[in-house]
Amino acid sequence: MQISLKWINDYVNIENYFSKPQELADLLTNTGLEVEEVSDLGKRYASIVIGQILKLDKHPDADRLTVCQVETGSGSVQQIVCGAKNHKQGDKVMVALPGAVLPGDFAIKQSVIRGVESSGMLCSEKELGLSEESSGIMILPEDAPVGEKFSLYKGLDDILFELKVTPNRADCLSHFGLARELSNLLSLDLRYPENELQVEAGLSTKECISLEVKDAENCPRYAGRFIEGVKVAPSPAWLRTRVEAIGLNSINNVVDVTNYVMMEMGQPLHAFDQREIKGNSILVDKAQAGEKFTSLDGTEYTLDGSELVIRDQERPVALAGVVGGKNSGVQDDTTNLFIECAYFKPESVRKTSRKLGIETDSAYRFSRGVDPSGISFVLDRCCHLIQKLAGGKLYGDIHDFYPKGLEAKSFLVSSDYISQRLGMPVDDESFEKALAQLKLKPVKEGQSYRVTAPLYRVDIERKEDIVEEYARLHSYDAIPEKMPELALEPTPHEKDYELQRSLREFLVGQNFTEALNYNFENKLKASSFLGDLDKLKAYGITANPEPVQILNPLNEDFSVMRTSLLPGLMKNVEHNFRYGRHKGQLFEIGYAFGRDSKFGQDPRLAFAAWGETLDLWTKKEKAPLVLQLKESIESLLKELRAKSWSWKQEADAPDFLHPGRSAALFFEGKIIGFVGELHPRMKEALKTKEPIVFAELQLDALLRGQPKAFRVGGVSRMQMVERDLAFVCDGAVRSDSIIDLIKKSSGKLLKEVYVYDQFEGGSLKEGQKSLTFRMYFQDENETLEEKQLSALQEKIIQTVSSKLGVNVR
Amino acid sequence: MNIYAMLQDKLQAIREEAVAAFKAATSSKDLYDQKVKYLGKKGSFSELMKEMGKLSKDERPKFGQLVNEVKNTLEDLFKELTDALKEKELNASLEDERIDMSLPGNRMRLGKKHPINMVIDELVDIFSRIGFSVRLGPLIERDRYNFEALNIPADHPARDMQDTFYIDEQHVLRTQTSPIQIHSLENESLPLRVLGPGAVFRSDYDVSHLPMFHQIEGILVDKEVSMADLKGILAYFAKEFFGPNVKIRLRPSFFPFTEPSAEVDCSCAVCDAKGCRMCGHTGWIEVAGCGLVHPNVFKEAGLDAEKWQGLAFGMGIERLAVVKYGVSDIRLFNENDMDFLGQF
Repeated sequence: MQISLKWINDYVNIENYFSKPQELADLLTNTGLEVEEVSDLGKRYASIVIGQILKLDKHPDADRLTVCQVETGSGSVQQIVCGAKNHKQGDKVMVALPGAVLPGDFAIKQSVIRGVESSGMLCSEKELGLSEESSGIMILPEDAPVGEKFSLYKGLDDILFELKVTPNRADCLSHFGLARELSNLLSLDLRYPENELQVEAGLSTKECISLEVKDAENCPRYAGRFIEGVKVAPSPAWLRTRVEAIGLNSINNVVDVTNYVMMEMGQPLHAFDQREIKGNSILVDKAQAGEKFTSLDGTEYTLDGSELVIRDQERPVALAGVVGGKNSGVQDDTTNLFIECAYFKPESVRKTSRKLGIETDSAYRFSRGVDPSGISFVLDRCCHLIQKLAGGKLYGDIHDFYPKGLEAKSFLVSSDYISQRLGMPVDDESFEKALAQLKLKPVKEGQSYRVTAPLYRVDIERKEDIVEEYARLHSYDAIPEKMPELALEPTPHEKDYELQRSLREFLVGQNFTEALNYNFENKLKASSFLGDLDKLKAYGITANPEPVQILNPLNEDFSVMRTSLLPGLMKNVEHNFRYGRHKGQLFEIGYAFGRDSKFGQDPRLAFAAWGETLDLWTKKEKAPLVLQLKESIESLLKELRAKSWSWKQEADAPDFLHPGRSAALFFEGKIIGFVGELHPRMKEALKTKEPIVFAELQLDALLRGQPKAFRVGGVSRMQMVERDLAFVCDGAVRSDSIIDLIKKSSGKLLKEVYVYDQFEGGSLKEGQKSLTFRMYFQDENETLEEKQLSALQEKIIQTVSSKLGVNVR
Repeated sequence: MNIYAMLQDKLQAIREEAVAAFKAATSSKDLYDQKVKYLGKKGSFSELMKEMGKLSKDERPKFGQLVNEVKNTLEDLFKELTDALKEKELNASLEDERIDMSLPGNRMRLGKKHPINMVIDELVDIFSRIGFSVRLGPLIERDRYNFEALNIPADHPARDMQDTFYIDEQHVLRTQTSPIQIHSLENESLPLRVLGPGAVFRSDYDVSHLPMFHQIEGILVDKEVSMADLKGILAYFAKEFFGPNVKIRLRPSFFPFTEPSAEVDCSCAVCDAKGCRMCGHTGWIEVAGCGLVHPNVFKEAGLDAEKWQGLAFGMGIERLAVVKYGVSDIRLFNENDMDFLGQF
């Protein structure tokens, strides 16, 4: 909220802070009302003065420019080159002199424009930050005093605070309210604004307009006054300046007064044109379902019956506390006014405002809570100003529906309690003094004090609130720092955190870099990437074709919760290619959503890797990247102490994967995910020949039973024997099927076996390949003899040949 | 002719021939071959020895001694020449094996943890040391846990503080990690110290807001808990996370689930609180919100607010990463650019 210090000064004397506004700002910030920005308008508009054009010539070198001799006070004359067209000799204008800094950090300097010296600039309203648009420079009235500072002339020699008022401090949403706070904090006198009225005792508001409040629950207080014969006109300069200073538009004297009083007292008011109150009757009640209402700005709303409205005999004329109706607002020719000043229940106003999406200063204040006890004062204050500025006869009585007075909250609190909660000594004397200063009326009752909060302090309800009041008055800096004693049963971290963290750290150690993506996705883009979801499911990843929707998404890219981590990683790969990161490997641990239920979270581990591996030293064919990623996943499986797993290629691969270069991971009895190379079709747009590979795994299946307890065995000191065996087989035979048989036939003596070499062509027949396996044998207790080894080798050859029909080379 | 003299001549001839052959050898292997040729089992000397039978009994030992002397000389020569040749050969092979040491081995980018998790893990370590343990919680959260139980009833203006993504009437994407508090209060034994890190969501996207970001939440509940305890814990955090000279200050604020509430500023570690761009020339950086647990929160969790007291704090992880590592644009956290991530 914008706060004018000059305005505050009407109610509490803070003149001595005008030269040091930051001190006042710090005081407010340190007591809970954060001042986000201090703008000293006098300083901001320094070096901008009123000038008069004494002489105006065409620029010798530019048709569109003029060279002006401008008097800027005390006989000083500046030559200024100007590009506008709307000025003439004798005009009074705003001159920014060299050294001035205009809004937008536009510094004015002495300069030479097309060969002619120019000492300043003639300003437009836009350049001065007074309006959004302007045509030509600002021409001032003839009586504008030459040489006077712009800020003084426009009444802008003020200091503005941008105040961040937290939702609990509704009492500070006005100048008087903030002044009241300052008077408490600084122990200064508070001056109330004038509210004397000249009433016509013989005329009665009640006789002229009837009032009925049907929904007293949502409208505990409703007051109103009738004024006859006002003259609607533009506001006087002082009023215009004030409402404009805090960012409102000046409309006319009556509307400006209601706005002004709202910004002054924090209590919204509404002025009805009495002509438009059909049947001269006001009824406060719920709307009728289906009825239409058009607000002041001309927007039409259909009401559903839950809204509290003000209505006349025929129709709603205002949404209570939110906005007035177009049908009954003040017009230029309005003469008779009904001024409403009420207390509407905060929840009711907020609900209507939220539901219809109408945000107004009025709704903002009502939904935070106005002061029900201040209503008659504010109504009088408003009528006082209307009478002063627009004339009119004020009727003698007022409507004031207030059947159940709202009571101030009172409760007990002791200084010992405050002391314990703050962790510092607090005695009765300082406690009582602090509470009295904050107008909380402390009264000793036994060992405690009974505290009664004024009605405008809607936030003070219980003793905890007093802890904060006391602390903020004495500054939070006064509270000591102390480490609380540790006296509790230790508990472990949640398992998922521990497991995911170890997993992360392992993968980082494998030189994968961790990615974090939005948990939302673009439904269309994601589904066009993932393709046939049944195929994906056969590869272990279930993605719901109907992802969890966000009811109010920011845009299409954030419209649903993700069903797979891969579309996000694909985006990352594209990004990295775009910026020339031609090689990389990412992993992400995160959730997919909506697999089994709408609200379920499905933890996943996914990978993306791209770019060739540099293979400077082996001149052979390079290992396909997809096998390297597979290898990394196997390292992870080993780290997790998995005993066995296999890679299945039977089912059709998901659409986005290369059908011949992808496989599903079979682990602990089921398929839990896959590894695969991106289908060439999917990377056409990237224009790269480099491979891009992905993997996605069900993390809960992978981590089931983790961490696994383990014990280690001994180490054999016997000789380790190396043997190679090469088989010639059909191209379709998978290496792991041979390895399985080797393992089965050699039993415990086999320590390790892996594919050592593969080749095709040469002397081999078309469609055949040769696979060489390297095996290591070792016994725990004795050195293996040649005879034993030969027998074993023979057994392996026998088994493999007979089971797979392959020949040993 | 005298046989002795003849054999002596022969010996002399073999010796000269062998010496010449040894000296002519260009490699240690060649030299060894020569040695075998002359000194081996079937070598020239063995042949000569066969002829010794032709000598008289008296002459034999004398000649034998002569042969041994020659053999020893040759052995010595062989050893001497071998050493020299081997040295030469090693030097030659060392020269052969010389490589360009600027060539790469197996090039790879170093793996890195995402900075957000880096910060979370560091915070977990810091707070674990004073007894906090981690709890996670669902990202799609019931309205009650995200709001109601945190003393934010429906139609309360405090709901305006956060722009919420709704899944349905009863469920939202959690807007804060604070619901984790409630799950712990409902399910765990007291006293407790719990830390809740994780993703949160708000319907806001501009240069300083991401629709998904991360927070960490801490709650401590005991019989008596004070603002001094809260300041003590936060001061410890600030020193551990930002550096030993960093101080904290609290400013009054408002959060529906704490009373009193405060914003936490740390003295700027970048400029040592002298004022810089990072701290907006104030010397202070806002890093957290905190307060004493509001009695309504205990009530909502079914606990007696007169029996238990608590403190709670919450921090934005992105914000901490920006401050600690000088990240210039928060959108970098979601691009997963290898060059960005590689810098951590």
